[in-house]
Amino acid sequence: MPFISKDWRSPGEAWVKTQEGWEKKKVLENCKAIKQSGAEEPSTYGNTETAIQPHCHITIKSTKEIAGFNELNEAVKKLDFMSAVRDVRRFNYICALLGLLIGQQMTALSGCAQKVLLAMLEEVASQAVASQHNPRNFRQLLKNLRSLSEAERSSCWGGLLGSQVLWSEHTAKIERILKMAANMQICELSPESRPQLLQLPEECIREIILRLSDHRDLTASAQTCEQMATIVGEQRVWRELTKFHFTPHQIELVLPKNGEKVDWKDVYHSLKKSFGLSEDRQYAEMLSLCRYCRCLFWRSSGHPCIADQCPEFRARLQEAGGITPPSPVPPSAFLKFFSL
Amino acid sequence: MPNIKLRSSDGETFEVDVEIAKCSVTIKTMLEDLGMDEEEEEVVPLPNVNSAILKKVIQWSTYHKDDPPPPEDDENKEKRTDDISSWDADFLKVDQGTLFELILAANYLDIKGLLDVTCKTVANMIKGKAPEEIRKTFNIKNDFTASEEEQVRKENEWCEEK
Repeated sequence: MPFISKDWRSPGEAWVKTQEGWEKKKVLENCKAIKQSGAEEPSTYGNTETAIQPHCHITIKSTKEIAGFNELNEAVKKLDFMSAVRDVRRFNYICALLGLLIGQQMTALSGCAQKVLLAMLEEVASQAVASQHNPRNFRQLLKNLRSLSEAERSSCWGGLLGSQVLWSEHTAKIERILKMAANMQICELSPESRPQLLQLPEECIREIILRLSDHRDLTASAQTCEQMATIVGEQRVWRELTKFHFTPHQIELVLPKNGEKVDWKDVYHSLKKSFGLSEDRQYAEMLSLCRYCRCLFWRSSGHPCIADQCPEFRARLQEAGGITPPSPVPPSAFLKFFSL
Repeated sequence: MPNIKLRSSDGETFEVDVEIAKCSVTIKTMLEDLGMDEEEEEVVPLPNVNSAILKKVIQWSTYHKDDPPPPEDDENKEKRTDDISSWDADFLKVDQGTLFELILAANYLDIKGLLDVTCKTVANMIKGKAPEEIRKTFNIKNDFTASEEEQVRKENEWCEEK
């Protein structure tokens, strides 16, 4: 049934009651197919032809007047962030986004947005505890969460809080998450398991070490035992790390000119200090923005693009200088769409 | 399509398509060096791989046989440890012993894609953990003396601050 407000000026959304509360019909239609495929076993995961690709139209140049058209909670649902948490390629991106959103500033978001964000965090928590993937990210999120609950407690002195019922629900949820985190334990490997990491030939261990893209992970592994420390100490490891994070041009600037011996570990750290690490190299998959549809989507699942559906439009684009590929949206850019 | 027989270390024989077997550079060069004879029923012995692991390797190669070769210039892709397709992620939900055996097999058979994805999986197990947690995960004994450990820790702290 369409909802019509008292002043007859509402957009007339149809609302549906769901388990999590009332939701707009258009949002539900967008993620229904995903929900179904997500409920099944991961073996049928590849069956994406019938599922609706998660995508979300967005107003790009957000001004104060139209900022209200981009709703964070809608985007979160339409882009299917919930099941993205379970996808290893998207997990780190979601964590980064939550890291930016959750915290003291969250009290200023709409009630709906607060609700979905906390629900997402709970999903992340259960995923992180189950798979023990990247506990550092998770701990950072917990720190943010604690500052959020502090903000909530202190805001009774005249601060903006919104619905009290909503917040008591939030508090319960936050406690659940913290409890889950407290119970998190790294499972110990039984000493009988064969072969073990250190029994692998050195070249295999090196291959593994070479795939670490964060220097904190490298130093942590160096601190475990002597053999690891030797491998991590190799110049090649640091050289490849440097080449991954910085452009040849940047590296050129720091390299010693007069043929001195290069210590790549020093090179890495001095580059990190002067340029910082670029955001968009760190995620396996990011949200992308299609310029023609004004639409956000996950790169690997694509989106129904008008350039694909309408051949005339496509021809015109090609005339105008070719089709520009969709641009990646790092977490901080994503927030800008919502004026955050 | 001609088939080829592979024999694992414990004597089991597997018959696979030559194209699939050629995912392994080791087998590929072996076949090229020896010259493939259509008529002959030759069995390739693989003394370093047992049947359970060989079965998994064949399963992986069969699924990935049509993959385009990885672009040479994109060396950055290797470092994105979370860039693992969902099929591979499911395929590699195995215990640590099997995972390491797969790394050994991929290394011996020289299957670049499989080595890449298995190493990424292990790297993901290291990611974001503190030294003590890494030791626990892989059952690594701390063989530093107290003073050595202190020195390594200081050295790294110094890098952090710099």
